Amino acid sequence: MNETLVMLLAGGVGSRLNIMVEARAKPAVPFGGIYRIIDFTLSNVMNSGINNVAVLTQYKPLSLMEHIGTGTPWDFIGRGRGAKILPPRTGQKDSDWYKGTADAMRQNIDYISSHPSREVLVLSGDHIYYMDYRPMLQFHRRKRADMTIAMMTVPMDQIKHFGTAITDQKGRIMEWEEKPEVPRTNLASMGIYVFKTSYLLSILQKTGEHDFGKHIIPMAIKKDSVYAYPFQGYWRDVGTLDAYWRANMDLLDPSSGLTPETWGVRPNLEEAGLMSDWPPARILPGAKVSNSVISAGCVIEGTVEHSVLSPGVYVAKGARVTDSVIMHECQIMTGSRITMAILDKKVEAGKGVIIGSGPKDTPNQEFPEQLFTGLTIIGKKTVLPPGVCIGPNSIVYPGCGEANFGQKEVLPGSVIRALTP
Amino acid sequence: MQKILAMILAGGRVDELSVLTFYRPKSAVPFGGLYRVIDCPLSNLRYSNIENVGILSQYRSYSLINHIGQGASWDMVGRHRGVTMLPPFQGHKASDWYKGTADAVFQNLDFINYHKPELVMVLSGDHIYRMDYQPMLAYHLKKKADLTAAFVAVETREAPRFGLARIADEDKAGGKILLYQEKPAKPASNWASMTIYLFRPEVLREVLQENAKSDSHEFGRDIIPAMLGRYKVYGYKHTGYWGYSRKLEEYWQANMDTLGRRPKIVLREWMLRTNLDHQAIRDRQPAVIGKTARINNTSFYHGCRIEGQVENSVLFPGVRIANGAIVKDSVLFFDTTVEEGAFLEKVISDVDVVIGAHTVMGKRNGAVAPQGGITVIGRSTQIPAGLTIGPGCTIYPDLRPEQFTKKKIPSGEAVQ
Repeated sequence: MNETLVMLLAGGVGSRLNIMVEARAKPAVPFGGIYRIIDFTLSNVMNSGINNVAVLTQYKPLSLMEHIGTGTPWDFIGRGRGAKILPPRTGQKDSDWYKGTADAMRQNIDYISSHPSREVLVLSGDHIYYMDYRPMLQFHRRKRADMTIAMMTVPMDQIKHFGTAITDQKGRIMEWEEKPEVPRTNLASMGIYVFKTSYLLSILQKTGEHDFGKHIIPMAIKKDSVYAYPFQGYWRDVGTLDAYWRANMDLLDPSSGLTPETWGVRPNLEEAGLMSDWPPARILPGAKVSNSVISAGCVIEGTVEHSVLSPGVYVAKGARVTDSVIMHECQIMTGSRITMAILDKKVEAGKGVIIGSGPKDTPNQEFPEQLFTGLTIIGKKTVLPPGVCIGPNSIVYPGCGEANFGQKEVLPGSVIRALTP
Repeated sequence: MQKILAMILAGGRVDELSVLTFYRPKSAVPFGGLYRVIDCPLSNLRYSNIENVGILSQYRSYSLINHIGQGASWDMVGRHRGVTMLPPFQGHKASDWYKGTADAVFQNLDFINYHKPELVMVLSGDHIYRMDYQPMLAYHLKKKADLTAAFVAVETREAPRFGLARIADEDKAGGKILLYQEKPAKPASNWASMTIYLFRPEVLREVLQENAKSDSHEFGRDIIPAMLGRYKVYGYKHTGYWGYSRKLEEYWQANMDTLGRRPKIVLREWMLRTNLDHQAIRDRQPAVIGKTARINNTSFYHGCRIEGQVENSVLFPGVRIANGAIVKDSVLFFDTTVEEGAFLEKVISDVDVVIGAHTVMGKRNGAVAPQGGITVIGRSTQIPAGLTIGPGCTIYPDLRPEQFTKKKIPSGEAVQ
């Protein structure tokens, strides 16, 4: 018997990440140069000495499945070890998409019962954090709990995004509110649940509710033993563009507490389609690089300041990248100025392209609640022709090119979409 | 497609590389900021679709065995693919160390018989180069040769260090070998053997069995000369970079050749693969370049942390350069730490070396120094703070700070 069965929910859309999740699920979004968001959770499982993980996918799973592969990078290989992908499947009656966190578990009751376990650990692949799950499992056992929820304190103005709890002195959850408008506590759920396996199976069969946070937990705390496990440390829900950008910038701040290497986070360095290993990064004569995170395969002739670069990025002589997140194989040509931007993979910024300069006070016209801090997002494989100037808070969709930029000036807060052929 | 078995000669130590080959054969010496020398032939084999490899190792094999693993890094695991380590073994009569390159292959003839290849490729694991072996293979078949050996043009003054051939001018790719000299004082050619041989298996068997009766067992010195005139022996001319790197200076230069605006070795084009599990390469985060860093013409990999000044240098994963330190013209292996205010010029440091704060190493001030002015430091040595070490020095492995009794170590000295 496995002591602990891990169910990792990786099917979320993460729609507030906008074009970054146009072709991939949120857990598959690249982060910190060489990682994807889910690497943090997969590595936590590995580093907690747990040998098996089931990954529940749904939304745009291709790049996620390719990334996880056989699970080798996280040591899930060998007899008795493994990473399994559990996609939604057609039920007896009709095609059943996962309708929520609890429903995803319910549709995999056969998997849970055929792998006998003492506890089921439910994780999400959406967060940047380090956690050894073993102390939480011990806490759960010590409390003889039916369910234990990992919780941490967050700033009061953030609490409205989370499930919240009020506990008694022993940590038992007495009250639960999902995403409260008027907060009464700053204790937030991290979406990490430990269930006594028998309890989980019975509760899934007893009700038809779809979501743990919204439906099941409020019911469960009334008569069952549900505990809050207190967590302290770096933990970020990088579900918004601004939070995503800030968490990347945390890599540049030694006091932020975000240290993937000491956490033991492993990427998959053998990305699909990569025929050889990325060579070391090269800084050419005349380049200036400071306060930055630089991945393998980068070639830098220009200036890079306070930025995070993924593998294979080229920054030409006379180009300048500041306060930005630049993903795999972007090409930034001579005279370009990239400020406070996220460039998805394989973006080409032609000669003299200016991104993100000028006043930041015009929010995005279509997504004012997503882009208002001055951040600009450029979609995968977009080619920005020479001399194009893109104002802050703009979004340029994936696959845009020459035809989209009849006018070289793109006003702050604009949205540019690829033309349909 | 022909069934080919490749036998890599990877067991040689190469004394001239000093402390770098105290604990590993030359083929396992780190190269280019990430790789091992043997990644060159292994990646070449991969891209030439040669998928069955035996590796002949003898000297300090651990580092090599660790690096090769199961061969998965080069995609050589599968039903019809594989890498096999072939260490020396005890014979019926006595313990038989490999007595030369030809003897090493001779002792593994049963391995070759077992694989029933249509062609056997014997090649060295010690050289830094990129080559597609398929055109050479096609040439060998076209000429119906018994042996085809690859040659590359070298500078005439360097020629006496190599096995040299005069090759008949049959076509652009080469021709019959007319004359072969092993390391001659007076070279008759500047086509140097790259130690890449293609044999018809039955011929290989024949010549190795014959050679076994003599007391010298080298492909270059013994096998090729003995075959001339009796077998069809061809020379195949290769053009392109070829790093022999049997001296510290050459080895240092090969690393420097990966740098610059137009490097001689374009690693991205060489498409090398390495074992990312070796030295925990996978566990390292992207390089962190600090606010005070100044970096010029330098390569580095994940796990590096740079706060100081670096120029014309190759930094392997995990190298740390503290604020105020200056590193020039150096090659620093995995996890070398350069502490605050230290100064390094033309230094090669092996893995896990620590250079203490404000220690000055290799400052030449224009003076000529032994071993090309290169100071080399053996693995895991900790050099204390405040030392002055001249250029061209050799610092042995595993030294603790208290083992350094002098504050000043003059140019060319060794510290043991």
